[in-house]
Amino acid sequence: MSGESGARGGKAAAPTPPGAATPPGTEVHTTDVHAAVSAVWRLESARIVAALVRIVRDVGAAEELAQDAMVAALEQWPATGVPNNPAAWLTTIAKRRAVDRIRREQREERKQAELARERDRGEPVQPADEVGEVGDGDAGDESADVLRLLLLTCHPALPPQARIALTLRLLAGLTPDEIARALLLDTTTVTRRIADGKRILAHQRVDFSAAPAAEEVSERIGAALEVVYLVFNEGYAATSGEDLIRPELCLTALRLGRLLARLAPREPEAHALVALMELQASRQAARTGPDGEPVQLHEQNRGRWDPLLIRRGFEAMLRARDLLAGDRPGPPGPYLLQAAIAVCHAQARTDEDTDWTQIAALYQALSHLLPTPVVQLNRAVAVGRAEGPQAGLDLLDSLRLDPTLQDYHLLPSVRADLLQRLGRTTEARSEFRRAAGLTRNDAERAFLLRRAEALSRTEPRGGADAQGGDGSIGRQLGQAADEFLAGTGWGAATRRSYAQTMHRLCAGLGATAPLDEVTADQVARVFRAAWGAAAPATWNRHRATLRSFAAWAGQDALADAVPRRATDAARVAAPTSAPGTLGGGRAPSQAALPREVLRSLLRDPAIPARDRLLWRVLHESGATVTAVLALNVQDVDLPHDRARSGRSFICWRPATTSHVAQLAGGRTSGPLFLSARRPAPARTPADAADLCPQTGRRRLSYERAEYQFKQATRQLDPAGVGFTLRLLRTGR
Amino acid sequence: MRYLMTALTTETTPAPDEKLFVEMAAFVEEMTAAGILLATGGLAPQGVRVVSHGDELTVTDGPFTEAREAVAGFALVEVASQEEAIELARRFRRIVGDGESVLQQVFGP
Repeated sequence: MSGESGARGGKAAAPTPPGAATPPGTEVHTTDVHAAVSAVWRLESARIVAALVRIVRDVGAAEELAQDAMVAALEQWPATGVPNNPAAWLTTIAKRRAVDRIRREQREERKQAELARERDRGEPVQPADEVGEVGDGDAGDESADVLRLLLLTCHPALPPQARIALTLRLLAGLTPDEIARALLLDTTTVTRRIADGKRILAHQRVDFSAAPAAEEVSERIGAALEVVYLVFNEGYAATSGEDLIRPELCLTALRLGRLLARLAPREPEAHALVALMELQASRQAARTGPDGEPVQLHEQNRGRWDPLLIRRGFEAMLRARDLLAGDRPGPPGPYLLQAAIAVCHAQARTDEDTDWTQIAALYQALSHLLPTPVVQLNRAVAVGRAEGPQAGLDLLDSLRLDPTLQDYHLLPSVRADLLQRLGRTTEARSEFRRAAGLTRNDAERAFLLRRAEALSRTEPRGGADAQGGDGSIGRQLGQAADEFLAGTGWGAATRRSYAQTMHRLCAGLGATAPLDEVTADQVARVFRAAWGAAAPATWNRHRATLRSFAAWAGQDALADAVPRRATDAARVAAPTSAPGTLGGGRAPSQAALPREVLRSLLRDPAIPARDRLLWRVLHESGATVTAVLALNVQDVDLPHDRARSGRSFICWRPATTSHVAQLAGGRTSGPLFLSARRPAPARTPADAADLCPQTGRRRLSYERAEYQFKQATRQLDPAGVGFTLRLLRTGR
Repeated sequence: MRYLMTALTTETTPAPDEKLFVEMAAFVEEMTAAGILLATGGLAPQGVRVVSHGDELTVTDGPFTEAREAVAGFALVEVASQEEAIELARRFRRIVGDGESVLQQVFGP
């Protein structure tokens, strides 16, 4: 890097050794020292850690040494003041400790060897070579070190979440606390991911002596770019939490991206990614309204787009294109195509000026490289603008069968937009509401509900558009479902099962969809997406509910496209009913469970962690007790704070994830919630999936879980019976 | 967040020499590539002052500040915290020598 000597003073500004009386460089209050250290660290950690990795040849050890140097700064700077060249100070200390560590290890080895030889032959030993060649590492090429480190933290052997955590830790210089805050995780999770990552890396063979070869860089850079873009997106399109954008994370990603482009200047995709991020970041200020709600691209005030970032985005784009036209000829990569789309938007002075035909073409090219549903979704938006809403809608409808998009809020939200433009207001409104029900972001949910409301205002409920073709007032699916479920004469278990089916139908079709307009095909689509992979018995159970509902509503044809499935006789077990729970005994209290009471229950250390976690998940996810108990360890998706349940997900709050991880422990399969004891031989479950292969315990039963909850809440229940688990999901 | 860093020359500020130009160019290049430096430039000592008062607009030719506290240059930087901005100022001052820099957070755009 040519800027090296200028930026850091090179050899001229030799760092003051620690312990020596250092005149304060500037008047910094001791309370600011922590902030100063962390500021220097963020700017410098990549270089320092990279140099350390080359010296000690181990990422874990390098991180510890770097940490030691930071601690030394925190201890000494308050007394001595911040040194004139803090970066060089930290580097010197860290390298010194690295050399100490190597010497210590060599001494240990020598001592071992000496002991061995003395024991064998009783001969005195020649002093071994000194560690002179280790040096302080200045001889190496700094940028090669950083590039090697970046390829390491984005190593394909690492799980994606560990790549992100390690990259943020070692290259962006964030502490585990800061990473946890940025990614809305708890610190324990982040620390564990970092530790796991370091352990995996320790087993990789890496050549620390030479700069990574050009071919190696080309091959592996994709993984690094992906990590950077994931970090950026986590900041730019915050998937959960209250804020829509977390700017500090965007800034971190942009810095990492520029670093990557500097380290691998001949990689067109590296420059393209920088361009893409700069251009997206240029819209940051215009993307949210005064109350934090999202402002869509076509409604954004383009005067608030940041011209400086746009200019830098264009520059990076030109570098990428020049490489493709000269040094590195080839077809455009996925980042270049996405950046090109961003360029189209940035060049349009108004929304009407946008070249949607070009954008639709770019999305089509992109869909060949990245055939993901999300790209298709964006393509549908572009086609909707270029060729009209009906064309967009046609493209979108081919996506609606995709199970991965089943719970993706942007699908109904985009559909709603297109429907609204077609004047199909009722459908648009119900799609907006569906989208609101699916998003995890609070600001976005409020925004989607407002859009649905706005449509209600223009065409009031029960107005012209709610009427069926024959003029009768149409009933909405959600209302009908509620009335159906309110029917009397059913046991609690039946009603619970019915509610499950109806809940899925309403989520899949929109609770406000007019019942008259629901078709058998739509229903079948929801069934296939939700229970296509479930056991035939499950499918048939939901089918039975659907048929009852269809008959009750006088629309028997609704169930026509959902055929009965052949069942495996072995799987059909007689339902067990323990006395005093679902069957006989006193009816469980229906009184509400106050929030504070629940909170104190969840913190009560006297209650087993397993039960408290079960209650937490039930309360936070709103999923059924059966579904939660049916979870297996392999269904759990810790990085996304959720677990797969059939074709959908059971989601919990990020803070709960560490508890889930604890409960899963080191297990890799088997039921997540286990009973406390091993079953007696006679009670071994028929289905092996209900038995934990490691502990031999069986899956926690509904009855037992219910019993535990009642025991724990009996004191709190005015009726003295205790509460039922279902209160946890409904009393949210 | 963005900070505007203005550099003021004082009586003890040394005259720029070749070494300073080389080091400064390298520093600017590095900071630009890192995306930290958004814009920078030196300012001419002379200028035009425009003062409005009600409907009245007065235009005066400079120079109009005491030479020893004139703003000699500026840099617009994108940083994660004020401390980062201070760290950049520290590096900058190490290159230019005696003098004064003022850091102000920029709101907008």
